[in-house]
Amino acid sequence: MSGFSRLSRVLPALGLLLAVGALSGCASQPPADDPDAVAEYRETNDPIEPTNRVVYAINDAFDKAIFRPLAVGYRAVLPQTVRDHTHNFLGNFGMPVQMVNDILQTKPRHAGDSMMRFVTNTTLGIGGIFDVATDFGWPNHDADAGMTLALWGVPTGPYVYLPLFGPSSPREGVGLGMDYMMDPFNWIGVDATDRDLGYGKTGVSALDERSRVIDDLDKVTGQALDPYATIRSLYRQHRQSQIEDARDDSKPTIPAWFPAAIPAPSKSGSVGSTQK
Amino acid sequence: MSADRSTHSQPTRRHLMGLGAAIVMAISSRAARADSDADRATAFMTQMVTDLIAVVNGASGTSDRAVALQKIIDKGVDVNGIARFCLGRFWRQASADEQKQYIELFHKVLLKNITGKVGDYSGVDISIQKTFSRDDGIVVSSTVLRPNNAPAKVDWLVAIDNGKPLVIDVIAEGTSLRLTQRNDYSAFLTRNNNSVSALLDALKQQANG
Repeated sequence: MSGFSRLSRVLPALGLLLAVGALSGCASQPPADDPDAVAEYRETNDPIEPTNRVVYAINDAFDKAIFRPLAVGYRAVLPQTVRDHTHNFLGNFGMPVQMVNDILQTKPRHAGDSMMRFVTNTTLGIGGIFDVATDFGWPNHDADAGMTLALWGVPTGPYVYLPLFGPSSPREGVGLGMDYMMDPFNWIGVDATDRDLGYGKTGVSALDERSRVIDDLDKVTGQALDPYATIRSLYRQHRQSQIEDARDDSKPTIPAWFPAAIPAPSKSGSVGSTQK
Repeated sequence: MSADRSTHSQPTRRHLMGLGAAIVMAISSRAARADSDADRATAFMTQMVTDLIAVVNGASGTSDRAVALQKIIDKGVDVNGIARFCLGRFWRQASADEQKQYIELFHKVLLKNITGKVGDYSGVDISIQKTFSRDDGIVVSSTVLRPNNAPAKVDWLVAIDNGKPLVIDVIAEGTSLRLTQRNDYSAFLTRNNNSVSALLDALKQQANG
């Protein structure tokens, strides 16, 4: 199957990188007579920090030398509208997985939004190029398998900086794998053309995402004394905020025949909502 | 018997009613104070946002922007409080002179960072959505619209000290600026033998570079 063969080609390379990084070892715990330092070490929860820093350095070098220049070129060559349409087109492919995750998170309103986004954007939006669904009342939201696991109560675990993927954790890593397995577009087709199209989609997706954060990322890493620690902090806070937003969003699904106006989303329990 | 009870219960009942009224008034005045705090915070942020938009969308050079931003920061941001927060547990370990230097450098670096973040933006709009209370202050939630970017959620944490509101944190898309800065400094210090003077040198480089 094309999904497995693609994965099995990438895994050995990732494994090699991780092994090289792992040789750098674990972080040394601060002495027990400094309780503040020990508390901070626990809170930071980054026991393989030296390894992570090596991987970060490799990733950063690759980014500076190859990836960022490509993203800058992408941004310079293509006008904003073309980039927006590309972003919509690529994002549309993610809707089936997103819908599955919404269902797993028991968020029926979100699942409905994802499904309607896919249907209307693919048809009226001509293959996903135009985002018409938002104007129809189905805005986009975040939902991936990492968030699903978090809402199920899986703790995040220590900080792990992955090659290529960047900031992550054991839970998020499992989430990435789950999303890959659940994505129907990874299993469609078996011949070389489909495989290459898949690689092409991944490549342009990565370029698209990188080009959207060029300036912000430059400012963050330029102004930081320790860019690795800053990115670790930002990633965790942002992730936590995404998960809390998803947890608190319990928009009820109102049947079409119910005459009353749709109420504002509420934090306390309401009809048809589930709280975690 | 009944006559006895009635002569005793009348003053007690009055006392109870008086006590009840006092409690209700205390609760409602606290609620009213909380409401007025929220209103004050909202009004304060509305003014600050208007000033910010004027500077960002105004057609002036970097140095003029820096001067204008400095005014807004001095008027409305508790820089000293944020500085102490960002040094965290190392504040107590620093000498009085180091603390003084740190605060001065922090002011410079903060202004530089903000001027840099604001950058060449123009056509920015900030609209205040809602205000709510939290343990450590009042959050004024706003949406920042930058041209060619998705709208960003920016929350302003306001603390009211002796009736004077000041911004003590900015939370952009769920990431707290002062917490991120504290993690940055603390990681730097841990890797530099907990030496505050090393931090001061690094900040000097940032301020002058």
